[in-house]
Amino acid sequence: MHEPWWITIPKAFLVINVVMVFFAFTTWFERKLLGRMQNRYGPNRAGPKGLLVPIADLLKLIRKEAFAPSAAKQPLYIIAPVVSMFTALLAFSVLPFGAGWTVGGKYIQGEVANLPISLILIFALGSIGIYGFIVGGWASQSKYSMLGAMRTCAQLVSYEVSLALSVLGVVLMGQSLSLTDIVAKQQTTLWFFIPQAVGLVVFLIGGTAETSRAPFDLPEGDTEIVAGYHTEYSGMRWGLFQAAEYVNLLTLSGLCVTLFFDGYHFPWVHSLDKFGPVWFTLKLFILVGLFIWLRASQPRLRYDQLMRFGWKVLLPVATVNALVTAFLVVLIK
Amino acid sequence: MANFLVWAVWVVAAFACLASALAVVSFRNPFYSALSLIGNLASLAVLFLLLSGEFVAAGQVLVYGGAVMVMFLFVIAYLGDRSEDSPWSGGPSWQIVGAVLAGGAILAEVCVVVGLKAGDFLSKPARVDRSFGSPEAIGKLFLTDHLLAFEITSIVLLVAAVGGVVLGSHARQHDPLDRTGEVDARA
Repeated sequence: MHEPWWITIPKAFLVINVVMVFFAFTTWFERKLLGRMQNRYGPNRAGPKGLLVPIADLLKLIRKEAFAPSAAKQPLYIIAPVVSMFTALLAFSVLPFGAGWTVGGKYIQGEVANLPISLILIFALGSIGIYGFIVGGWASQSKYSMLGAMRTCAQLVSYEVSLALSVLGVVLMGQSLSLTDIVAKQQTTLWFFIPQAVGLVVFLIGGTAETSRAPFDLPEGDTEIVAGYHTEYSGMRWGLFQAAEYVNLLTLSGLCVTLFFDGYHFPWVHSLDKFGPVWFTLKLFILVGLFIWLRASQPRLRYDQLMRFGWKVLLPVATVNALVTAFLVVLIK
Repeated sequence: MANFLVWAVWVVAAFACLASALAVVSFRNPFYSALSLIGNLASLAVLFLLLSGEFVAAGQVLVYGGAVMVMFLFVIAYLGDRSEDSPWSGGPSWQIVGAVLAGGAILAEVCVVVGLKAGDFLSKPARVDRSFGSPEAIGKLFLTDHLLAFEITSIVLLVAAVGGVVLGSHARQHDPLDRTGEVDARA
């Protein structure tokens, strides 16, 4: 069954906008949750329960003067946040959020693009997204930005290895690199977070580091390097960097839901599967809540701890997990 | 319609590939050269896509465009812009001669190889299986037809990794507080 292009394009538009709205309210959710966890109210002035805070933020950022240092390398300085945002939004397009629907004789896919190698595509886009951060830091021509960019680069490259190895177990069990196939496989067997518990833990830790969130927020360690690679950015350019980070967080949570928690399926009751996007969103925001909880409760790592943990603990664990899974898959078959 | 689209994408990717390759060797600032190289690798990936090698294209972007070039940029940004005081900035003429000669040799070689090996094929459209370029097909090729090359490559990579560790631990012996070697070895 093939989807006509005039359905795909509006659907892509819709998905991008929904992701942007999710991003906006993730910032609200984060502030609110952090506030409650620290015995505060969090935002509660703009709108009911402070729900209009993201809108106020957006208006502020857009109306702010777009300031650039005079030494900045001009075209790169402006392009860098755009690259980050572009790859972040693009990665969401391969995540399956529904089983597909037939409306008026036309088939609508449950994702924007169904590729046989969608998992690799997400990782490839992630590795391109790093350039936004490092180029932005370099093009600012400022010491703090530069240090932040170096840190981002080293951290993201180190943890990407573990992250990629942690999903290898899922790929071996799902026998596919296509996210739709992996979801379908979990439907017939069991949710992969049970046999791949080790992979899930490595994925969550690696994912926290990949999105440079606390306790792995060294790229923006404000006590040491002001704000890292986006020190010299302001207004909506800074906003784009920030948005890219949150969209990356959403994509990563979505990927985790897809790989380990059976994507858009409702447990046991199959008749509810047609409301796939609802269950997908629910699972996604439970994971986002977990990431926020981590941020509220864990102190930032020291740089050498970060590197030691990434290479001497996480990578061996991920490798052994992949090897054991490979042996077991062959043995059981 | 589909043919025109393929043709248009090919033209854009091919020219982007050539232009970025020229940019790599003509930029004075190494940071821009490295960025152009990323563009070159990305446009090559698009060409792979047109040849229905989706897996190779994604691998190209992930490994070369992503991981390898990030290390290039890291080192270039770390060492700073030294184009002013580097001895070879300005490009002595013998280098241009050498480059043109080498380029000509490669072009001639490609023409000869294509002419000898693929002379018959080029006049007919290629027949491509549905599984061609899929991860399964490539994995099967790696572990059957090209097993030796595959294993030798992994040994070469292992040697490089061991070398990195040795160099890194050597640097640490000299200065117990210096952690740069440690990071390099892991990178």
